[in-house]
Amino acid sequence: MTMHVDTKLLHGGYAPEETTGATALPVFQSTSFAYESAEELEAVFAGRDAGFVYSRINNPTLDRFERRMTVLEDGLASVSCASGMAAISTTVLALAGAGDEILSGNSIFGGTYSLFAHTLARYGITTRFVETTDVDAYRQAINDKTKLIFVETIGNPKLDVPDIAAIAGVAKEHGIVLAVDNTVTTPVLCRPKALGADIVIHSTSKYINGHGNAIGGVIVDCGTFDWRSPRYAHLKSFYERVRHFAFAASLRNRVHRDLGCCFSPFNAFLMSIGMESLAVRMERHCSNARRVAELLVADKRVAQARYPGLRGHADYEIADRQFAGRYGALLTFRLGTKERCFRFINALQRAQNLANLGDAKTLVIHPASTFCRDATEKECRAMGVSDDLVRFSIGIEHVDDILEDIEQALSKMEKGESR
Amino acid sequence: MTIQINGEAVELGGEMTVTQLLTERKVKMPDMVSVELNGEILSRGTFDSTNVKHGDKVEFLYFMGGGSK
Repeated sequence: MTMHVDTKLLHGGYAPEETTGATALPVFQSTSFAYESAEELEAVFAGRDAGFVYSRINNPTLDRFERRMTVLEDGLASVSCASGMAAISTTVLALAGAGDEILSGNSIFGGTYSLFAHTLARYGITTRFVETTDVDAYRQAINDKTKLIFVETIGNPKLDVPDIAAIAGVAKEHGIVLAVDNTVTTPVLCRPKALGADIVIHSTSKYINGHGNAIGGVIVDCGTFDWRSPRYAHLKSFYERVRHFAFAASLRNRVHRDLGCCFSPFNAFLMSIGMESLAVRMERHCSNARRVAELLVADKRVAQARYPGLRGHADYEIADRQFAGRYGALLTFRLGTKERCFRFINALQRAQNLANLGDAKTLVIHPASTFCRDATEKECRAMGVSDDLVRFSIGIEHVDDILEDIEQALSKMEKGESR
Repeated sequence: MTIQINGEAVELGGEMTVTQLLTERKVKMPDMVSVELNGEILSRGTFDSTNVKHGDKVEFLYFMGGGSK
């Protein structure tokens, strides 16, 4: 039987546990897994038998969570990580080495930008940043050293929307892997594999968890890329051993294992509970955000309200096509000065001022003074960040209560009050 | 009938499903094993309904972990 994504979230990749019938994912909080003979453990290490070894490498709870993510993204295999940033770092390091290049949109999340522009650069991996929505710019920037094209489904916090299918076309022309960060749209709004992505990455700390109680990430190999490509000659030995699973095995048995950025079984349990309500939450997140955006764009106290679901948004048509009429729950607007932003944020009664997105609760942040504070002026411009920008991650409260909170905070801001 | 498993010729009594083949070959933790049939990865949900036939090339693929379809 085929399943809609709403059903996959509950039943895909997991059935009641075989030995006990437990319907919630059991937590195997064990460092290691014992074998009766040295020969058996040797066979597992040698790859002749399947088995669990050590929870930095693999674990039954993580395996079940990974399978659920594989099913959700219609992939081949998944590897969970300690965080979304760990998932991105691991992906890059599995594909590129010193002297190689990666290609990325320039409006990506500040943490990812810092990883690409600063940390990886110190180890000889160069990132060429291009205008996120300019498909031809990707084509122009590709060369023999390019090992990866990386885009986010919606730039955060610029909220621009790249045409993923068109960028995938460029990646395929040149035989380069395309990785898509699907964190802010989730499998409910966007299926990157259907648009041509080879790898899908999530920070599962956001909507998949949905309740702000655990950090995690996952890498999904869509199973679409031919890993025999000479551009990825370092994966040849993995291909000879496990064929289509070459990339997943190179993560599990080499880069992910060696970096030690493993996911916690208990966090996988929390994510598994969270993901079951993802489809319902996303419907409410998106409808609430659209309503807030429609009112803010018409409010004279606010400038440049940005939301991909507004018809005036430059990428509205692409967003409409890619996300099937839903546009996520992030929105930004400008209030004229940093001081007005701070007065507004301080005056909010319910929205929580913190560095996260995708929580069930409405969240607010001033990007320039927080997650973009290390960026240069030019980098901030590329990320759509100015000193007077506020970002909301709209939650699933009753929309009238969200609007009431925003209205009273705007009113206090105008009067010069802050609480 | 004869099939190839991981490159080696294996004699079987007759056609059988992939699930039966995993049991017949005494594969440990079959839930952790990925199976390639004639170059195509089989989805785990089709193991019960897919038959192996004479001349088929089967690969049992193990890599630590799993998380595969």
